[in-house]
Order: sequence, then C-alpha cells, then structure tokens
Amino acid sequence: MKKKLVCGMITAAMVTALFTGCGSDTAGTSAASGTSESSASAASDTTGSSAVSDTQGDSSETTTFTVGFDAEYPPYGYMDEETGDYTGFDLELAEAVCELYGWQLVKTPINWDSKDMELNSGSIDCIWNGFTMNGREDDYTWSYPYVDNSQVMVVSESSGISTLADLAGKNVGVQAASAALELLQSEEEGGQKALADTFAVLQQFPDYNNAFVELQAGSIDAVAMDIGVAKYQLKTRGEGFKILDESLNSEQYAIGFKKGNTELCEKVNEGLQQLLADGTFEELAEKYEIADMVCLEAK
Amino acid sequence: MRFSLILSQLSQGMGRTVTIFFLTLIFSLPLGLLISFGRMSKNRVISSIVKIYISIMRGTPLMLQLMVVYFGPFYLFGLNIGNWRFPAIIVGFSLNYAAYFAEIYRSGIESMPVGQYEAARLLGYSKIQTFFRIILPQVIKRILPAVTNEIITLVKDTSLAFSIAYAEMFTIAKQIAAAQTTMIPFVTAAVFYYVFNWLVAWIMELAEKKFAYYR
Repeated sequence: MKKKLVCGMITAAMVTALFTGCGSDTAGTSAASGTSESSASAASDTTGSSAVSDTQGDSSETTTFTVGFDAEYPPYGYMDEETGDYTGFDLELAEAVCELYGWQLVKTPINWDSKDMELNSGSIDCIWNGFTMNGREDDYTWSYPYVDNSQVMVVSESSGISTLADLAGKNVGVQAASAALELLQSEEEGGQKALADTFAVLQQFPDYNNAFVELQAGSIDAVAMDIGVAKYQLKTRGEGFKILDESLNSEQYAIGFKKGNTELCEKVNEGLQQLLADGTFEELAEKYEIADMVCLEAK
Repeated sequence: MRFSLILSQLSQGMGRTVTIFFLTLIFSLPLGLLISFGRMSKNRVISSIVKIYISIMRGTPLMLQLMVVYFGPFYLFGLNIGNWRFPAIIVGFSLNYAAYFAEIYRSGIESMPVGQYEAARLLGYSKIQTFFRIILPQVIKRILPAVTNEIITLVKDTSLAFSIAYAEMFTIAKQIAAAQTTMIPFVTAAVFYYVFNWLVAWIMELAEKKFAYYR
C-alpha cells in the first residue's frame, strides 16, 4: 500500500510538473515576446527617434538611462567597499547627469566582450566606463572626450625592465577586448603592432585581478593597461610594481552611444557642460584622484 | 571591505544563483522527459528532429546558447529585449539541460526489460498506466545518480549567466575581487558553491534511500 502511495505521488508530481512546467515555459516565452512586441516602438529609441528608452511596462513618466560598464574597472566603475553598490568616477558622473534631467540611472554591469551586442540591441543606452574613443571613432556616436588617458606597461619592480625595448622576448598580458589590446594589434599609424611582435607571448586576460596575480607569480612579465587603472592597482596593491615611463600612446575617454543616437549624446554633452560649469565635474575628478587627467573643455 | 559585507554581497548573488538553479530544474526536468519521448518516438521525423536538437544543445557551449537566446530576438527580428535578460537565462539553461536530462531518461527507460511491458499488458494495464505506474517509478530509481551529477553541474554552470551580464554570485565575487584587489571573495565563493552542492548531494542521497524500498 505504501509503495503504491509513493509511486502514485511521484507520478502525480511528475505529471503536474510536466504540464505546469511546459505550460509556464511557453507562457513565459510568449509573455516575454509580448512585451518585446508592445515595446517595439521603444526599440526605435536607441536608433535615435527619442532620447532615452522608456521604463518598460511602467506607467509613470520617469525615463531610465541605462549605463553599461565593466564593474571590474576601478576607479571608473567598480563595487564600493563600504556599501557594496556600484560606484566610480564615471558612474557618479552619470548619476549627476541623470539628476540634472530627472532620469533614473540604471547601472548595468556588462560582460566587456559583448559590449557591442548590448549596445546595439538596446539593452544599454551607452557605454560609460573609461571607454577609449581613439581607433573606434567611426563605430559609435561619441560624447566630448572627458579624460586624457594613455596606455602604459606595468612591470614588477624586481624584473629589471625599464623601457619598452626591454620587453622583447617577454610575456605580456592585456585585457581581452580592451583598448590596449587593439593598440597592440594595430598596424596603422600610432599602432604598436611592431612592439607587440617583439613579445614572446601576448596573453589576454578577462580582468586585471587575474593579470596581476600572474604578474606577481612571475608567469608574465608585464601588463598593458590604462594609466588610471594602473594607478589604482598600484595604490591598492602597495609595493612591488612600477609603471614604465614610456607610454604606448595617448588617447581619450568619451561616452559611447549607439551609432546614430546623436539626440541622447547631445543631451548628455549638455549635461556634462553644466556639471563642468558648476564645479561638480572637478569635484568628482579630485575625489577619484584623476584631476590631472580630465580634459573636458567648455564649449 | 569588511568580510561581513563580502558575505552579504555574495549571499545576494547566491540568491540569484539559486533562483536560476531551481527555475531551470522546474522547467528542464519535465521538458527533458518530453524530449526523451520524442527521441524514442517511432515516428522517424520526430525522432530525427529531436536528435538534431540534442546534438546541437550538447555540441555547442552553453555560453554561446545563452547569447543566442538573449541577443537573437534583436538580431533576427529587431525586437526590443529590455526585459528579456532574466527570462533568456532561464530559457537558455532549461533548453540546454533538458537535452542532457532527456538522454538520462532515455537510458533509464530503455533499460527496462520488455517482459515488464508484456506482463503489464496481460494484467490489463493500458499503455499510459504501464508507463506511469510501472516503468517510470523504476526509471527514476535508476537514473537518480546520473541526475545528481547533472544537477551539481548545473549549480556550477550558473556562473555562465554573466556572459549575458546577469550578476549572479560568481560575477559579484569577481567584482569585489577587482575592487579590493584580493582573492578572498573567490575563496568565499568556493565555500558557497561547495556548501550548496553538499546540500544537493545530501538531499539526492536521501531520495535514493527513500526509493530503495525493495532492498
């Protein structure tokens, strides 16, 4: 009797699971595609018809401004150690712009490798995260540049490497899909392909934490990265590393919008100008210790 | 960052990980059974379609499948995918795991001796009764260890959700590690995974004991 009961219960459970399972599965799918259809008009947002995407399914009028960023990119975008919220120079700047317009800021940490897909599909409104514009001028609609950046090499102090020429035959690390990688692969004017060809290996890393551990462990000899990031890493990691005096290039950060989305871009540009005029921009730059690098000019 | 804060951040991420885990199981276990029927179907068309499905699901990385499910609606049909991120993860995981579960079900169902079907028919059981009352309970007993394997893999696979930017536990561990330039969050994440998998294994063992009623 007990056996039968157990079997019956399992069977019943399986059958209900079967039907409810499939039922809600398809329901979920159709519901989701339903919202996609109903907001098909909103899809044109990102192609430039209106400024920012409406909050989906939200009857209130607040517009959201979705910033895509790499949450492993201090000091521009990272997780705050006190609160656990996402913060950083770029994100606080975005917050300030949103406050000006009454937008609601949505911070979306993205997988840096798929940033173009996120942007093109409208999942995010812009990439605002120490985003290098040089070499990508035609791929996005860019805001005014706001930070002067350069790509540098970080080596361990004991390595005896002091110039870029010393890197010949060494293992060099770089973040995947980063500006530093593009630079090291570029054969165009100002590109560093020739330098990269002297390396033994150009090793790609998903994030700088990995790269620094390998640098410490001695499996790579140098890591190429943005100077702002390098300074942050050296500050938090303490002794043992140095930045080579020779930099790979100089370049600029700007906010990348989907190509053609000039309306939103202009709006953010205006916001940045206001923040520059009232001193907020300078304040934030000092807070994150990059005041000597910012380059936003009054237009 | 204080350790307690790391813990609370990771716990939040663990909540998302566990949500992916349970929703995937709820959808993929029954779907897998359905697919295994298709795979064993006498209808050549159905069985070959299902075979291709299983072959693709097992033969391509889950990470890519997630990206196709998430970005596909936009790139193929130009739809807005604003609220699609989380559903896409569940759909992607369920479709993938259902393929694996289907083959596990099939291994169990096909291992049942023909004599049992014949005996059931003699006793006047209908086909459906035979399957649900006689075959399935025994199949479940046989496939439990294989299913446990797959479920434990699922717990660890949830970290792939970040390929479409869903901040589950491991992603948060990476973010804390990047901001703090330490490795402690990874160790903590490992403990989280281990404890959760230990629980899963314990529950599955309990289930196995419950089903061992003929011993």
